[in-house]
Amino acid sequence: MLPFIGMMLLTLIIGTIAAAVVDEGRSRRMAALFTGLTMIIAFGILVYSLITGSVNVHEDYIYYMVQFAVDFNFQLNIISFSLLLMATIVSFITALSGNTEHEREKTSSVLILLFELSAVGLFASANLIMFFLFWDVGVVALFFMLYLLGSANRRHAAMKFIVYEILASMLLLFAIMLLYFYTPVHSFDINTIIQNSPLIPTSTQWLVFFLLAGAFLINMPVFPAHLWLPDAHTEASTQGSMLLSGILTKFGGYGMILTFLLVPSGYTFSGFLGLLAGFSAFYAAFALMTQHDIKRIIAYTTIVEMSIILLGIASQNVYGTTGATYAMLAHGFGIAMLFLAAGSIGYMFSDRDFRALRGIIKSSVSTGYTMLIGIFATTGVPLTAAFIGDVLIFTGVLKAFSVYATIPLFSLLLAGAYLYYVINKSVLSTKDVTQNVEYIAREQKLGYSMLMFFIFFFGVLPFILLNFFSV
Amino acid sequence: MLAILVIVPLIMAAFAAILLRGSPNTVKYLALLASLVSLAIAIYIFVYPSGAQSFQWFNVGGLAFSIGTATQPINMLLLMLVSVITPLVFLYSIGFMDVPSEQPRFYFEMCVFAASMMLFAISSNLITTFIAWEMLGITSYMLIGFWYRKEKAPDAARKAITTILIGDIAMLIGILMIGASSGTFNFATIFTLPITSYLDVALILILIGAFTKSAQFPFHEWLADAMEGPTPVSAFLHSSTMVKAGVFLIAVMLPIYNSAGLLNIMLIIGIVSALIGVSNALTERHIKKILAYSTIEDIGLMFIALGLNAPYAALMLFFVQTFYKALLFMNAGAIMKANDEREDIYKIYGSAINGSIASTMLVGVLSIAAIFPLSGFFGKVSVEVASQNVVVYALILLMELGTSIYIFRWMFVTMRKSFDKSAPVEINYRSIPRSMIAPMYILGVLTIVASAAFPYVLRYIELGAGVVNYTQITVTDAAVSMVLSIFGIIIAYRVYKQGHRLHLESTSKALFNIVYNSQLVNRAYTVITELTARVANTVGYTDYAFDRSTYALSQGATSSGGIIKGIVNGQTNIYVLGFVLGLILLIFSFIL
Repeated sequence: MLPFIGMMLLTLIIGTIAAAVVDEGRSRRMAALFTGLTMIIAFGILVYSLITGSVNVHEDYIYYMVQFAVDFNFQLNIISFSLLLMATIVSFITALSGNTEHEREKTSSVLILLFELSAVGLFASANLIMFFLFWDVGVVALFFMLYLLGSANRRHAAMKFIVYEILASMLLLFAIMLLYFYTPVHSFDINTIIQNSPLIPTSTQWLVFFLLAGAFLINMPVFPAHLWLPDAHTEASTQGSMLLSGILTKFGGYGMILTFLLVPSGYTFSGFLGLLAGFSAFYAAFALMTQHDIKRIIAYTTIVEMSIILLGIASQNVYGTTGATYAMLAHGFGIAMLFLAAGSIGYMFSDRDFRALRGIIKSSVSTGYTMLIGIFATTGVPLTAAFIGDVLIFTGVLKAFSVYATIPLFSLLLAGAYLYYVINKSVLSTKDVTQNVEYIAREQKLGYSMLMFFIFFFGVLPFILLNFFSV
Repeated sequence: MLAILVIVPLIMAAFAAILLRGSPNTVKYLALLASLVSLAIAIYIFVYPSGAQSFQWFNVGGLAFSIGTATQPINMLLLMLVSVITPLVFLYSIGFMDVPSEQPRFYFEMCVFAASMMLFAISSNLITTFIAWEMLGITSYMLIGFWYRKEKAPDAARKAITTILIGDIAMLIGILMIGASSGTFNFATIFTLPITSYLDVALILILIGAFTKSAQFPFHEWLADAMEGPTPVSAFLHSSTMVKAGVFLIAVMLPIYNSAGLLNIMLIIGIVSALIGVSNALTERHIKKILAYSTIEDIGLMFIALGLNAPYAALMLFFVQTFYKALLFMNAGAIMKANDEREDIYKIYGSAINGSIASTMLVGVLSIAAIFPLSGFFGKVSVEVASQNVVVYALILLMELGTSIYIFRWMFVTMRKSFDKSAPVEINYRSIPRSMIAPMYILGVLTIVASAAFPYVLRYIELGAGVVNYTQITVTDAAVSMVLSIFGIIIAYRVYKQGHRLHLESTSKALFNIVYNSQLVNRAYTVITELTARVANTVGYTDYAFDRSTYALSQGATSSGGIIKGIVNGQTNIYVLGFVLGLILLIFSFIL
């Protein structure tokens, strides 16, 4: 078998360097090329897994910290692979079609490649040091993405982002250290910790659980640590938003799934976590209904969706976990599509307040329909991937908790109702305002159609990935 | 042969509509052709039923989610209705949709809509049902808001999708509750489940879903507003698709509702909805909304029949209502087209000018008023007969009287001659395209023969043990019903023949508000929306305050940093002063 992860990381490292050394005009092409290659390798893993019947990748490279026996070692299971596949696809589309303004292309290309490097490394990491390393690379890459690219007030948003994320990193590092010292065999290896974690004293497990959950809940984000997300999205560039909501929030979701494996005693608190998730979903759905900036509205839907995903993870059974993974995959595509369209709207009309926008479907047909399908994908209409996620999550919730735990599904109703209101005012109306028909770049249309394709591909053919879960 | 093949031509036509959007003429004939192919396949399935088939869609943790089809007679009934109405509606659309640039979008949405309804008709498990159900909701949203340039259409579409979304989410929870507890989604297995309060909750949630889709109280107002969509959509939506979905689902699941003892909910909601439908239809002036309220009444009657555990009566009405309602909507569309798209019946003239429209309209109107040889008679009277309760029986008779008044008001008022001789109404009536006239004739014939055909269809349907067949209509029942209908016609003739109006609004405001209660319902919707908005404002403000307070916290941290910075400034004398002060403090603390 081919060293897939190594190939991906090498491609991305070469790509980052290549995008940094070529001149401004070509750097975007470099980014698209190398992210595309990475995506092809990820599909290679899928094909390989379909042939062999299971996702099972283990790769081991040179020592990184000899004293602690920490290697550059990688592994993939179906959960991390689903997210990895989504991350490579979304990164490719971000690099290809996110920046139609041609604004600081070189900076954005380098940062996208760097961020994808971190995403691939994080999802594939087999030990916690690698996990932490790639986590911080991703956070730093996105910090610069926010700080350097975006609208006028971006620096404040970027600082807010980094403060929250540094807090998360700190909690994460502390938890990793505790795990290392309290595991009887003193290891950073995820599999070894999972095997030995029942031997850790329960109180220590609880402490580690709180630290890890704190870190990942900030990252997901879930109430009360969600405040960085709307600001970051309002100020970020289109590409920044796509990566932020599409991929970075999934770090937290993946971490949360991992947390329950690393510290099984955390199961005691799954009920509280579910309560928090349910509250957060409603809180975000109501807060969403007072927003007017399209990007801010979409940002709040991220919080709603991630809360529901947290609910799925908290239910701690095969349905909940599978559903959460699938919902994260779906959410990555859906939210990237919405942000791509919202960015295009902001660029075309120099305004993102939906009350001021009229008749987008007339001015730009593709953007209008993309928004519409994005909303279908967000509210979980069947045949979009989000439906599969929602169905599985709530099956899991019903099995783990009670009937009342399905009430958070109504937060999707609130969010959906407001989203339909927004789209009626801005997209599907031609009341008394005539706007110029703007030219939409070909690569942007390609981005729309690719994301749409994947939303329906994973919605109509869910068994491709879901069959691996039952193995 | 898989029954699911029936939707394939329509799906292919839908995709062809996107690819061939440059040539609208090809698209419309292609859609018609596809619907005819689907009809042929449906007939084949009807003749050679393939039985239940299913394939696994995905499987997680032993819970299988399958796409399953069934060819039970009840499935065949709906499938045949949909596949017969679809080509007729498409044929009608050829003449009706005369804006070429919008046609590919229209036929794409219509094809998906029809395909979802066919999938719904043949579904054998709740997952397949829900997929078709949601696709219906989404496409109806797009079709109702089709003329998004019109002022009211986007809002009407939003009202529909928001209402339907409530039901969808309730229904999804209900379905998952059944699936998670029993491990299966198949209808056949669900019927054997033991009745628990848990199952009751699930069934009620599914029932809420059915009520939203079938426009029953208190979720009914979206249907009247849905008239903003193109007329072929209304003809389709009100006859065989969408609003019938709720009734059909409950009819399929009726045995379990019966054993769970939830029939009274249907009965009460059905009566309330039917009364609301009649009273609004009596006072409404919008030509299509009158028919929409009439649909709410019909569906209400079907729920009454289901609530009485008389599925045969419900299905009888279900079957015959398809034809006369599609016919009347097609008439309404043609009449509006001839009257420059005016919608107020008091501004519409001369529907008797075109003989084809007038004659088919008469068939439809007589049928809905339940006049003897026509199919509507059999539908309505079987519901009447099914009601063993005197109160219910009286209420149904009252509804029947109301029906014949409002529908003849609808006809007589639109038949007046125009006072304005210069208006080109007459020419417009003469130039209604033949493709719009032809389906009316076909539906007129079907309306007449439907009641005769129904017993043959009914023969196939076996609804399980314990279901009483109440379709024996006696002469007395028929006579009572006929007398009432004719009485209604006479009233309508005397009052509305010259286009008179009853100035109810000026004479009694309170009575008018009770009768024309759609305003009240809409006001209630507004109140609910405003309450939600108020909660949202509170939460939004909290969120803002929360954000500000974290900001204040960071400001506080920065300024306290400033204070310390002021002390720790590198000057030796300050440090010495601090040292001395600290030493004094230490000494004092020892002494004391």
